[in-house]
Amino acid sequence: MGNFGQLMDGFVVALTVHHVMIMVIGVLLGLVVGVLPGLGAPNGVSLLLPLTFTMDPIAAIILLTSMYWGALFGGSTTSILFNIPGEPSSVATTFDGHPMAKQGEAVRALTLAFGSAGFGAMVGVVVITLLSGWVANFALQFGSPEYFAVYFMAFASFIGMAGGSPFKTLVCIMLGLAVGTVGMDTISGEGRLTFGITQLTNGISFLIVVIGLFGIGELLLTIDEGYKFDGVKAKLSLRVIVRTLAELPRYWVTLLRSALIGCWMGITPGGPTAASFMSYALGRRFSRRGKYFGKGEPEGIVAPETADHSAGSCALLPMLALGVPGSATAAVMMGGLMIWGLSPGPMLFTTRPDFVWGLIASMYLGNVIAVVLVLATVPIFAWILRAPFTVVGPLIAIVCLIGAYTVSNHMFDIWVALAFGLVGYVFKKLDYPLAPFVLAVVLGDKAEDAFRQSMLSSGGSLSVFFEGSLVATMMGIGILLLSLPLLTTLFGALFRRGDSTDAGQTSRP
Amino acid sequence: MEISRKTMEVATAVLTGSVGALICYGSTENGIGWGPGGPEPGYFPFGIGCLILIGSLATLVQTFWKHAGAHPAGGHSAGAGAGAVPEEPFIDGTRLRLLVAFVLPIVAMTALSAWLGLYIGMGLYIFYTMRVSAGFRTLTSLAAALLVIAVNFVVFEKLFMVPLLKGPILEYFGIY
Repeated sequence: MGNFGQLMDGFVVALTVHHVMIMVIGVLLGLVVGVLPGLGAPNGVSLLLPLTFTMDPIAAIILLTSMYWGALFGGSTTSILFNIPGEPSSVATTFDGHPMAKQGEAVRALTLAFGSAGFGAMVGVVVITLLSGWVANFALQFGSPEYFAVYFMAFASFIGMAGGSPFKTLVCIMLGLAVGTVGMDTISGEGRLTFGITQLTNGISFLIVVIGLFGIGELLLTIDEGYKFDGVKAKLSLRVIVRTLAELPRYWVTLLRSALIGCWMGITPGGPTAASFMSYALGRRFSRRGKYFGKGEPEGIVAPETADHSAGSCALLPMLALGVPGSATAAVMMGGLMIWGLSPGPMLFTTRPDFVWGLIASMYLGNVIAVVLVLATVPIFAWILRAPFTVVGPLIAIVCLIGAYTVSNHMFDIWVALAFGLVGYVFKKLDYPLAPFVLAVVLGDKAEDAFRQSMLSSGGSLSVFFEGSLVATMMGIGILLLSLPLLTTLFGALFRRGDSTDAGQTSRP
Repeated sequence: MEISRKTMEVATAVLTGSVGALICYGSTENGIGWGPGGPEPGYFPFGIGCLILIGSLATLVQTFWKHAGAHPAGGHSAGAGAGAVPEEPFIDGTRLRLLVAFVLPIVAMTALSAWLGLYIGMGLYIFYTMRVSAGFRTLTSLAAALLVIAVNFVVFEKLFMVPLLKGPILEYFGIY
């Protein structure tokens, strides 16, 4: 149990007064970000990132991850009380959470959500603790073809597993990669795709892209959807909280199943949103009380929340161990690591064990702090959300624009962020997936380097990706994932003759 | 004015397709072939541009296919998600007006900030939105604007030491 000793060392790093303070601040900021529509976890982390450039990397990553936990928890508060998901990943929580709150059991719904979310997050962190060292050791054997195969697999799984149109996913990934290539080429030093615009020579920062796509885009979407609060009052009673927490173990089947789904979707880049929907759909199918789902059924809250949070924490595993983030927020954090001068991936475990294990230890503590704080602050946030959006909206807009400016102190960046905001709004409405876009922007350079280096070593022959058994297996899985939409279409056509009503059900939650 | 979803799908696919073509064109300036030192810098972007073009064309075809026949043959609609539900428009007139009313002041603020600095830009923007959109009294709006400026000034200039753009007016008063 080498990992256990290292984890204890990590706790020594994480459990200083300074770091615990940072966790509390991070969680609180995250709650704000999670509760306010238009500000989400990826965007919040991007806004905070430029302010951490001067901080010590360990403190900085603890701040960012704590903010991430806070945002994940905060998103559920609005889902349950106002039927407005603060985060895309908490959409599935509204299905049963809001009905239960409307029946006068708001506190029970909130406690169920936070309790199961805490459980999911803990399972995720345990998985990270157990697996990350092993994955990193495994990844130490990787050469550039293997790395390219990993990136290929990540992108292929987006195309294969996403519910929507595979072509739209393809367009998003490629646009992201293209944004990543703008600016100076790392190998030749030539400027690429700048079209003579000098401001583009330094490239387009992924932070600007995220602030635009997720921040401004989400804001426009909120305006479009009409922002009406039909809130449920929540009066916290300690007795109800304790009673609900005692009720939670009764749903152990749902808890375990959802946590497993979450871990799987988090490690493969399916992300928390897909995980929560999938877990809800499976819960409805397998639960004995499945037909009551949607009417305020406890399991309907437990299932998406557990999966959401276990996926959210597991998304950090591939980021740390492989350098391939499992979600948009993890992608932003990985970009942060690179800015702080750390290179994510297996080497990080040997060069900076204090950083890796300090971070993992902080996840345990951060989630506990998040559960406590989120329950304690429910009344405050319920009050904030009663402010009209004509006041809150412009404030969020200012935060986004200033955030875009602080990335590198250029006004040009604000215009770029606004443009990406419009793109984000249109893409979101037309079901273009945004997470792969961000992932591609962050991974663009690394994927290209891996590709070019493999091509250099093979003299331009693509066969290098199919020679070793490891790389061939990974490329094979990638190609299989790519052809998944085609295969399901074929199978759908075959089985549709028998039962025409059942065909579309799996793709829609 | 109402924009249908089909119009928007087509417009977006055409736009992404043009971006793809633009990327293909842009990458030819760096060389898309095989140089003495391996693949030239434009090699990778050129492939990306082509894939964007392919994806956009496929989306176009898919859109037309879905809207041409009432019920497309085969299992192709299973992945598209929309199914046979009567389509709602991309955006209707009221929503569009709301959206424009929200976006235009932001654009105006950005343009103003580039000239007068971010603090004055955000102050004017908050004053405008509070007074016009939210309908507060002039004095309240003014106070809110000043409060926002003050809070941002303290947070960025003092706490995090990240200077924001000041512009000529603040510099005239000796604030750098």
